Amino acid sequence: MGLLCSKNRQHTEADTEENAQTAEIERRIEQETKAEKHIQKLLLLGAGESGKSTIFKQIKLLFQTGFDETELKSYVSVIDANIYQTIKILYDGSKEFAQNDVDSSKYVLSGENQVIGEKLSEIGSRLDYPRLNRELAEEIGNLWKDSAIQETYARGNELQVPDCTHYFMESLQRLSDADYVPTKEDVLYARVRTTGVVEIQFSPVGENKKSGEVYRLFDVGGQRNERRKWIHLFEGVTAVIFCAAINEYDQTLFEDEQKNRMMETKELFDWVLKQPCFEKTSFMLFLNKFDIFEKKVLNVPLNVCEWFKDYQPVSTGKQETEHAYEFIKKKFEELYFQSTAPDRVDRVFKVYRTTALDQKVVKKTFKLVDETLRRRNLFEAGLL
Amino acid sequence: MPMYQPSSRREVDSSQVLDLETAVKDGVLGGGGGGVITTAAFASDKLDLKIMIEELESMDVPTVFICPISLEPMHDPVTLCTGQTYERSNILKWFSLGHCTCPTTMQELWDDSVTPNKTLQQLIYSWFSQKYLAMKKRSEDVQGRVKEILENLKKIKGQARVQALKELRQVVQAHGSAKKTVVENGGIGLISSLLGPFTTHAVGSEVIGVLVSLNLNLNSKSDLLQPAKMSLIVDILNEGSIETKINCTRLIGMLMEGTDFASENIASLSLLVGLLRLVKDKKHPNGVLVGLSLLETICSHESVRSSFVNVGAVPQLVELIPGLTNECLELVLHVLELLSSTPEGRLALKDCPNTIPNIVKLLMKASENCTQLALSILWAICKFAPEECASLAVDAGVAAKLLLVIQSGCNPMLKQRSAELLKLCSLNYTTTIFISKCKLTRTIQ
Repeated sequence: MGLLCSKNRQHTEADTEENAQTAEIERRIEQETKAEKHIQKLLLLGAGESGKSTIFKQIKLLFQTGFDETELKSYVSVIDANIYQTIKILYDGSKEFAQNDVDSSKYVLSGENQVIGEKLSEIGSRLDYPRLNRELAEEIGNLWKDSAIQETYARGNELQVPDCTHYFMESLQRLSDADYVPTKEDVLYARVRTTGVVEIQFSPVGENKKSGEVYRLFDVGGQRNERRKWIHLFEGVTAVIFCAAINEYDQTLFEDEQKNRMMETKELFDWVLKQPCFEKTSFMLFLNKFDIFEKKVLNVPLNVCEWFKDYQPVSTGKQETEHAYEFIKKKFEELYFQSTAPDRVDRVFKVYRTTALDQKVVKKTFKLVDETLRRRNLFEAGLL
Repeated sequence: MPMYQPSSRREVDSSQVLDLETAVKDGVLGGGGGGVITTAAFASDKLDLKIMIEELESMDVPTVFICPISLEPMHDPVTLCTGQTYERSNILKWFSLGHCTCPTTMQELWDDSVTPNKTLQQLIYSWFSQKYLAMKKRSEDVQGRVKEILENLKKIKGQARVQALKELRQVVQAHGSAKKTVVENGGIGLISSLLGPFTTHAVGSEVIGVLVSLNLNLNSKSDLLQPAKMSLIVDILNEGSIETKINCTRLIGMLMEGTDFASENIASLSLLVGLLRLVKDKKHPNGVLVGLSLLETICSHESVRSSFVNVGAVPQLVELIPGLTNECLELVLHVLELLSSTPEGRLALKDCPNTIPNIVKLLMKASENCTQLALSILWAICKFAPEECASLAVDAGVAAKLLLVIQSGCNPMLKQRSAELLKLCSLNYTTTIFISKCKLTRTIQ
């Protein structure tokens, strides 16, 4: 008995300490959970190359400390890769067109450029790219200026020519500098296929300099094989920012050259809308790449895309662009309401016209998104 | 003859010597607060008393200025031998009717002469002048303020802009003269230009609040009907407080009035869904009425109807019916009738289980219009799916109601329709079963 007693007493002392520790840990956990509850989860979704990562980078630039020199320099290899890959796609493309096209002569390069082309094509197929130097830059520049390549570029929608092509090809001199440090704009244009998930936490500071909401933004890979990773992120999402590149109505997928990109986006959007965990989630649809769309729509009719086959142009120039944009917006709206069950109609759904590369546009757009989400919170708390 | 009861007046301090101006200025005579005025105003005889009285209609006029006979302010007060004062024309009329008494004291008049009460006349004149000039000044102040705000709006942004717009809205809602000033100083164009793709909700809702109180000409309307601005208005409607929702709805209604714009361009799905949400909000009957009116206007355009049905309008509107005011009932029924002209509409009406019971109840209940519309809808559904609907209708008691219509004083078209519908419903029944289903009284049988 005595032994038991004494043992008990010892335990009690140790217990108290342990209890205190456990209590502390539990208190911490509770605090963190509470804090987590106030963090609003934003998810960037969309098909490949729709602009999700660009938006992600913009948010980083706007509301975090942006990119420091090390980070900027880390993009040099990315940009180099973009250039080599692009010129290879164009060169291989020109060969393909020269072979198969009726009007083959316009895709035939000059003798000199053919040699350059073969060399660059070989470099572009390697796993490791050499750093861009003056000599290579000049060669690439010459090839780019060849009319055959320009003709091929005009049919870029049939190949997998990235949107940053023109931007980088026109800056080769600067990019091949020995001391080259990428600018913010360069970083925004740099294209890397996202794989896995990336996240940042930020707080958009309001006009009154009061801290606003805390957001955690998740960026994902858009290609088909990446989408199975999305489902892990779907719980407790405040808002989905769905990016759709509206210029892509005449292009096909990187992962499936038979599939039209706009049709893919349409199906993807439909799928996302029907996800059970998004019952109360707000949907912000970013109709992105308006700058490219603006130029394309006057030359390439919307009806080449099956979804837009009932489109009728009404005029020319800016009016026509606006009309075409409104048409697409309406299509997405119809899709939204078709895919939304009656009990979900109350969730927030807004459409924004964006050009992700334009920092001002992204900043203003995000300000509106923030306002909407804050109003939504007040509404749900019964304060509105 | 109304007995004139003088209300209790404030006691005049007999130790003070009061001159006319002071008496009026200090509000000693009672009735409305004093306004600040300069003596120069008194000299101005250009102010016509009649006009001033008219414009100051809503003011509380001191009781001493009121004629006991007409209860109106006196232009030409005259006093009788009893000391009571009346408007000259009124008391003369009283005499011409053969009376020789003082209307208020009922005393027999020993002297039928009327003495002009110059003092009172002057008092009345100066009191009204004072009030009138004060009002005019306030009005000018308002106009000045409005111009100031409009100038400001060209420069400021952010929270300041929201505040300025809020103030403008309040001024415009309170003073009619402000509206004119806004219009004359290019205000409509200015604030419409504040509506763009990046306009915040705070700014947008205030702008709409101002626009809805103004008279918009065709140009302004066309400008606001641009798709980008319409999208914004619809977004604000969907996100706003009930007051904002009503303002947006009214503004869209104003824009659609008198313009030939095809509804399909204006009536986006978001708008239709937003309006449905508005009309379902029974806590705010103002919103229900305004929302239904706009829906009625929109559905008058054929092209919109099937989209509207596709967003689930029919069951939601049918659910709405019980408990609506007569005015709203007519609107809802009209919308449903317009929707029943489409095949999707008819299908949706048939599929909704409450359609027939809710609508049958409305026959001969609210108004003749309601009955006509209800009949039209029932006809459409029963024609479309007679086997299903006829029996449902009969179970809901349609037969008795139809007989009521036929026997009532309604117009012949209605009666004929009712007869046709009755026939349609009775097709599948033998006479005896039908009659029993009708639950009719012996006499009607």
